[in-house]
Amino acid sequence: MKTLQKTREKPQTVSVMAKLVSPLFGKGYGRALMLVGLGMTLFITVMSVLAPVISPYDPTQIGLGPPNDPPSAQFPMGTDQYGRDMLSRIIWGGRFILLVAVTAVVICLTIGLPIGLASAYAGGNVDRALALVMDSMYAFPGLVLAIMLISVFGVSIINDALAIAVVFIPSYFRVVRSQVLSIKEMPYVDAGKSAGAGTPAVLLRYIWPNVISSVIVIATVNFADSILTTAGLDFIGLGLQVNLPDWGIDLTYGRQALPLGVWWTIVFSGSMILMAALGFSLISEGYAERTNPKLR
Amino acid sequence: MVMILLSIVFVVMRVLPGNPVLLRFEKTADPALVASFTHQLGLDKPVYVQYFEYLWQLLHGSFGLSMAGSFEPVGPQILSRFPATLELTIYAFIVAAIVGVLLGTFGAQRPGVADNSVKIFGVLIFAFPVFFLGMIFQLVFGIWLHLLPVSGRLSPGVTPTSFSLGTFHFETGILTLDSILSGNLTEFIDAVRHLVMPATALGLVISGFFVRMTRANMLETIRSDFVTAARARGLKERTIVYSYALRNALLPIITIMGLQFARLLAGAILTETEFNLLGVGSYLVDRITFLDYTAVQGTVVFLALLISSVGLIVDILYAYLDPRVRL
Repeated sequence: MKTLQKTREKPQTVSVMAKLVSPLFGKGYGRALMLVGLGMTLFITVMSVLAPVISPYDPTQIGLGPPNDPPSAQFPMGTDQYGRDMLSRIIWGGRFILLVAVTAVVICLTIGLPIGLASAYAGGNVDRALALVMDSMYAFPGLVLAIMLISVFGVSIINDALAIAVVFIPSYFRVVRSQVLSIKEMPYVDAGKSAGAGTPAVLLRYIWPNVISSVIVIATVNFADSILTTAGLDFIGLGLQVNLPDWGIDLTYGRQALPLGVWWTIVFSGSMILMAALGFSLISEGYAERTNPKLR
Repeated sequence: MVMILLSIVFVVMRVLPGNPVLLRFEKTADPALVASFTHQLGLDKPVYVQYFEYLWQLLHGSFGLSMAGSFEPVGPQILSRFPATLELTIYAFIVAAIVGVLLGTFGAQRPGVADNSVKIFGVLIFAFPVFFLGMIFQLVFGIWLHLLPVSGRLSPGVTPTSFSLGTFHFETGILTLDSILSGNLTEFIDAVRHLVMPATALGLVISGFFVRMTRANMLETIRSDFVTAARARGLKERTIVYSYALRNALLPIITIMGLQFARLLAGAILTETEFNLLGVGSYLVDRITFLDYTAVQGTVVFLALLISSVGLIVDILYAYLDPRVRL
């Protein structure tokens, strides 16, 4: 019996790891998308982490150069309306937006996943009620729900992240729940139960490995959406402090100088938001393509 | 479903700890002033009383009281802003549907490079912040090329006209419709010129989802038996694709349209702000700037109701179009 258990455990752990990494190998369109996406996100992450080292100027220093100065050798991305160096602001500007996104995804994973798993596995009235509440929230536009939450609790990094997390928990819940509902009826789950596996074992060893691919897809989509939602909140005036170097805030205030033909403030900050959101979307798209043959 | 949504909104607004009145003032504000504000807005009553008052206000179309000025009901203000939002979303939707269906069908028909480019377009446009796309449009077509007006719904000097039916004068507030019905061609052209950029920006961003869904549904339909049967009968490929497959592939897309309406509204908030269109979305943003959080919450409730009603309409439409649902 003991040997049997061991042989059963080992391939299991391998297969979960394999699910995460294997789509990166082999050939094809999905892999190319994933690699490009990973490259973009890696670039942005490294840039944000190393900001204090690589940034040429202080991003909040007013009057470094003339206001609204076009890109030049001294200021490769020009200056904004206060004469701050855009390149330094771009390098620093991902920190908050990414921090909010990471926090939101972590909150979603720690709340949405267990609820979805437990609710679907247990079934019954609680499950039905939860599904109804989650469905109503899902039908609601994320940005508007986030606006409502922030209008009650005020603006801060943790409130932004919480608001975004609340917006996305229903999508985790729905995906996990629908998967578990079909997987728990599979014969191999029954076989496991009859072999004496308890509820935790069934959930972790039989069901979880089959849910993980969809969780990865939804988490990366969630990353991209958090970035877009945070930028949207910045844009409508629910962003963090105005003087922080932040892509969303630079994009929002940069448009004031747009009629003067000042394109560099908005184009660079906007492209960074686009690149961040696109990077995560590409990972999700490529991963889905590799793991779900129906999409090909 | 609607009740659940409204109740969730209520719980978040009133029951959870968090106070819009306190957010409005500095922490050092006079407690008496805060108390008087709270009282005027009826926020000091027991929670269950507040809940029924809230539902009662909704039934009367008031959507709560504004914290700015003289505690006016928010409902009429929202309604006066609604036509602009409706106009923008309708045109954006048309753009999204046309781009989505065309590109989706195109991709599904030609596997390989064309298909992959369509897929990449879908991902790329999905990741675009709608206001960034709007800014690029403004910069290129408005500021550099001077082709289109950058903001607003009408040029200064052009006044919206109402149209008459017998002795009645109507004004829907949807400028393109009003001007056509009243025969005011200058106003129509002006309104269209102002709408092109916002509607295209919003429509393109939403179209990503349509492209993907049309493509996926087309691929599935093309593989189905009745298409093979049509091919066996020797029908032209074009006939098969456009009159056989597309019609069936479009059915599920209608359901998705219902879901996408929520994203369309969220995008409309940003687009209206960017292009200075006086709609519900820019009203919401205005109220945020004035820290008028009760009005913000009223607008959110309004949008919730709107989304639920559109969801219901889509369900009914779907049942009408697809007989299988009615069984």
